[in-house]
Amino acid sequence: MHAPVLKPILAVYTALFLLFLYGPLLVLAILSFQSGPEGGPQFPIVEWSTYWYRDLFGLNPPSRIAPLPISDGLVRSLALALMTTVVSTVLGVMSAQAFRQKFTGSGFVFYLIVLGMMVPGVLVGLGTALLANSFGIDRHWWGTAFVLHVVYTFPFAFLVMLAIFNRFDPTIEEAAWSLGVPPGRTFRKVTFPLIFPGVLSAMLFCFTLSYDEFARTLFASGRDLTLPLAIYGTFAVEIHPNIFAFGVLTTLFSLALLGIYAILMSLSVRRAQRVLVQEEA
Amino acid sequence: MTALPTTTATAAAEASSNKRSRTPYLLIAPGVIWMLLFLVLPILMMVYVSFWTQTTFKIEPILTTKSWQTFFASDTYLGALWTTVRIWLIVLAATLLVGYPTALFVGLFVRNKTTATALLVLCVIPFWTSFLIRVLAWRPMLGKEGAINIILQHLHIVSQPIDALLFTELSVVIGMTQIYCVFMVGPIAFMLGRIDPSLIEAARDLGAGFGRIFRTIIFPLSLPGVVVGAIFVSVMVLGEFATAAALSGRKVNLLGNIIVTQVGSLKWAFAAVAGVVLTVIMGVVVAALLRLVDLKREL
Repeated sequence: MHAPVLKPILAVYTALFLLFLYGPLLVLAILSFQSGPEGGPQFPIVEWSTYWYRDLFGLNPPSRIAPLPISDGLVRSLALALMTTVVSTVLGVMSAQAFRQKFTGSGFVFYLIVLGMMVPGVLVGLGTALLANSFGIDRHWWGTAFVLHVVYTFPFAFLVMLAIFNRFDPTIEEAAWSLGVPPGRTFRKVTFPLIFPGVLSAMLFCFTLSYDEFARTLFASGRDLTLPLAIYGTFAVEIHPNIFAFGVLTTLFSLALLGIYAILMSLSVRRAQRVLVQEEA
Repeated sequence: MTALPTTTATAAAEASSNKRSRTPYLLIAPGVIWMLLFLVLPILMMVYVSFWTQTTFKIEPILTTKSWQTFFASDTYLGALWTTVRIWLIVLAATLLVGYPTALFVGLFVRNKTTATALLVLCVIPFWTSFLIRVLAWRPMLGKEGAINIILQHLHIVSQPIDALLFTELSVVIGMTQIYCVFMVGPIAFMLGRIDPSLIEAARDLGAGFGRIFRTIIFPLSLPGVVVGAIFVSVMVLGEFATAAALSGRKVNLLGNIIVTQVGSLKWAFAAVAGVVLTVIMGVVVAALLRLVDLKREL
C-alpha cells in the first residue's frame, strides 16, 4: 500500500510504541546499577556499581537493607514449573491427538479446555482455596497450586499441538499402520519425531507461564512462597534497587531459555531436513 | 470359500473402527477430568460458598443471602465494582487507541513478512520479564523523582514535578495499558495482514481517500481482530489486582483487590460473593463482544 505521508508517520508511531513497551524496563535496568546501600530506587545514579547484584548473591557485608528472600522461592518455582511443563505437555499432546478425529462433544471439550486459560487466576484461585478448605486439604505449592498451574498452561499446550496436528500429513502414519506397525510404536517412531518441534514450543509456553504465574499461586499455595509470591511480598514494604537487579537477572534467564529453545528448534529442523535429503538420495 | 476371509476382514475392520472411535475419548478423558475437577468444580464451589453463613472467623454451610445483601449495601464493595468497570472501560479504550496504529503499520504497511514478524516479536519480548517486575518498573518511571518528571523538567515543559503520575488511578491505567496493549496489537495485525491489497488498490483507483478506505474497508475487516483483542484485554483487566496494588498505593480497589483482602481476613463468603459478581460481569462482557462478530465465520 502506498501512502506517502501516512507510512512514515505510522513508522515513527510504532517506534514510540516500542519505546513505551521497553522504556520502563530500560529505566529499571539502568537503576539496577545504582550504588548501595544508600542509593535509592530512583534517579540520579549516585555512582555506578554492581552493589545490588552482589547483594542478591549475599556477597555484601550486612546492611540495614534485608536481602531479598528469593533463594527458596527460586527452587520451588523451578520445580513447580518443571512439574507443570511435563503434565501439561502430556495432556496437551493427548488431547490434541484426540481432536484429529471427529467425536461427539468435541465442541464442548474444546471450550472446556480453552476456559482454563481465560478464567482469571483470582477466580480459580479463590474457588480452589474454598474447595481445599471445606475438604480439609492443606494448600501447598506442589499440590493445590500445581493443579491450577496445569489448568492454566494445559490449554496453551493443547492449542499449540492442535496447530501442529493441523499441518500434519496423516498419510505417513497410515503407511506405518498398513505395514503392520502397532499404533503405540507408530506414535513413538513416526508421529512423535515429526511433532517434536511443536512439543518443544508447548513446553516453552508451559514453563514460562508457570514460572511467572502469580494470581493462582497466591490463593492456592500455603505458607511456602514461590518466586513471584516472594517478589510480591516485597512490594508492600519499601523497594530497593536489589529488586531491579533481580528483574534484570530473571529477564536474562528467560531470554537464555528462549535461546536454548531456538537452538533445539533449529537442530530438530536441520535433522528433519537431513532425513529428507537421505530419503531423496 | 471366498466368503469367509471377507467376513473376518469386515469384522476386523469393524472392531478396529470401534476401537478407533473410542480412542478420542480415552485420549481426552484425563484432560477433561482434570478441567472438571480443578476448574469447573472450584468455580461452582465459589458460587455455593457465596451463600454460606459468615461469622467473624469462620464460615458455616448454612445457606443464607446475607453476604449478598451486605455486598450490595456496602459503599466499599459497590465502589470497587464501579472502579473495576471504569478502569476496565478506560484501559480497553486506551489499549485499542494505543495499539491500533501499530497494528495498522505492522499488518498493512509492512508488506515484507520478515519485517512484520520481527516487529511482532519485538512486541512480545517484554513478556519474558516477570509480570510483577514489569508492573514495578513503572514506579521509577512515574514517581515524583521518576524518569518522566526528570525528562519533562529538562525539556522545560513543566517547572514543578507532577505528583499525580504515581499512586493514582492514572498510574494504574498507564501500567495496565502498557502490559495489555500487545494483546490488542497481535489479533488486529493478524486480521489486517489478511486483507487483499488489490481491494484497497481498487478503492484507491476509484478515487477513495485514505479516510474513506479506512472507514469502509480496513476497519470493518479488522473488527474480528479488535473483538478477539478486546476479549483478551477485558478478561485480564477485570481479573486484575496486582497492578492496582503495586501502582495505586492502595487508593484504587478493584474487585480483585477486595477478594484478596477478604481472603486475607478469612471472610471467605464475602470473597466468594465478589468472585461471583466478577464472573457474571466477565460472562456478560465476553458474550456481548462475541455478538459483535461471528468469530467462527470470520477466522
